[in-house]
Amino acid sequence: MRLLAIILAGLLSVSGMAIADEAKESVEADASTRQVAITSSFTGTEILVFGTVENSVQPSPEAGTYDVVIVVEGKSAPVIVRRKSRVGGLWINTSSMRFTSLPSYYAIASTRPVDEFADPALLDANGIGFEHIRMVPTASGRTDATDATELEGFKQALIRLKERERLFVKSEFGVAFIGRSLFRATIALPPNVPVGPLTARVYLFKEGKLLGQYTSHVRLEREGVERYIHDAAFTKPLLYGFVTVLMAVTAGLVAAFAFPRTA
Amino acid sequence: MTLYLPIAEMSVSVAVFLALGAAVGFISGLFGVGGGFLMTPLLTFLGVPPIVAVATCNAHVVASSVSGAVVHYRRNNVDVRMAVVMLSAGFAGTALGVETVRLLRKAGLFELTVSLTYVTFLGVVGTLTVIEGINAWRRAQTVGVHSPRKSGQHGWSDRLPFKMRFQRSKLYISVIPPMVIGVFVSFISAIMGIGGGFIIIPAMIYILRMPTSVVVGTSLFQIVFVATFATILHAWQNQSVDIVLAAILLVGGVIGAQFGTATGERLQGEHIRILLGVLVLIVAARMGYDLVVTPADVFSLGSVKGS
Repeated sequence: MRLLAIILAGLLSVSGMAIADEAKESVEADASTRQVAITSSFTGTEILVFGTVENSVQPSPEAGTYDVVIVVEGKSAPVIVRRKSRVGGLWINTSSMRFTSLPSYYAIASTRPVDEFADPALLDANGIGFEHIRMVPTASGRTDATDATELEGFKQALIRLKERERLFVKSEFGVAFIGRSLFRATIALPPNVPVGPLTARVYLFKEGKLLGQYTSHVRLEREGVERYIHDAAFTKPLLYGFVTVLMAVTAGLVAAFAFPRTA
Repeated sequence: MTLYLPIAEMSVSVAVFLALGAAVGFISGLFGVGGGFLMTPLLTFLGVPPIVAVATCNAHVVASSVSGAVVHYRRNNVDVRMAVVMLSAGFAGTALGVETVRLLRKAGLFELTVSLTYVTFLGVVGTLTVIEGINAWRRAQTVGVHSPRKSGQHGWSDRLPFKMRFQRSKLYISVIPPMVIGVFVSFISAIMGIGGGFIIIPAMIYILRMPTSVVVGTSLFQIVFVATFATILHAWQNQSVDIVLAAILLVGGVIGAQFGTATGERLQGEHIRILLGVLVLIVAARMGYDLVVTPADVFSLGSVKGS
């Protein structure tokens, strides 16, 4: 009897493990390059983010069992949004709102629009999608925008302006499965991408549930002359200023003496 | 060919910026102005962050004004003494202007003040220059007399103390008017972020009554120092001077300035003044238009550092 119980328990646990094993899908991912060099010939680039679903039960790449979202983010910084209004016939900035931190760059690619398969609370919690990025206005500053509609207006404007600068990029069908478990997406880094570390976050969804997440990092750094000049400008600003002026004066003198004068 | 700018953090077409530098340099050499009032808005229009545009165009101004000033100096068209008097007073004006900017920022009135100052000054100076230029041109055509200066007609300014002889300008006047102009112009420059050539030129002609021949050279000569000071200050305080952008602009600039100076020699002083006035008016109209017309998007984005 006791032996039977042990065997039964063993069987149960084995089958339990089997069930758990089958359900325990997870995601692993990486970027095609860990380091992007910004040199004087930098005109923007593309990075490939790829990954795989562990224990995939997807019968074919087109089955759509899983939804994958890839978010690539630049480092956050405070921003200010200003709004003009008409005062005495002139359009001038009358109100502004400061946000404590906003990703300098935000690219999102997914297997289909994120609102179709995940509920807003989950998206909010993970910052998936432009509308779900955490935007907290600072209390201080000259803001007369306190109520919710005002805040929403500023948030929408912020997203719109960042999209126009190509620093917020969305690709709603940008993630493609190329096997039962392998997926990939290309993320465009525009020429004006702010220099700094990038974080790539990959989310795996199934039937609206978040099954797993994987984070990977890409370094975006100046190299060569770019790096040298940038460092000089910030570490030896006074010298940098004198060198700039020296260059300008020399160019002016060379031109003045090089050109033949007729009179 | 494109080049990535280390401070502006953007990729630009070298040909476009060379051409821009050359065009503004031409204007600089022709009229004896720095050209900052044209360069800054054009750079911003091409996507350069405003704080970088304001700082970097000063380096371009240094190069084109050196290029032009040397030519004028070799022709004896620079009144160094006058420039020194104006510059010495100018530093007080700059300090005053920088402090005013700080106070206006604190009160949240800076942007409006700058826009209004721009439109007002460009508008008034442009109009006056055009009117005076046309009158002078008419006088020159009918009478054949060319100088706007009539000796013994200085009125109140003749009675001021501290007289000094300005040989090159053939003037014996009190140092007070040039110093007041120096303070005023550098005060305005500090607020507007420009060299102020378009204010100095008319002030030299109509207030100081300097001969037209030395006005352009003297203005350029003193702009060299104002712009040098501004470049170093911006690099030092804001780290916003892009040396690569400056290099592209000033290569075009110095070449353009040479052609501008050469063209200026073939034109009459009155014509040059009328053209400068028209140019200033166009810029004023453009800025006024932006203030009045409903913007495409009432929202705009600012980085906290640059605000």
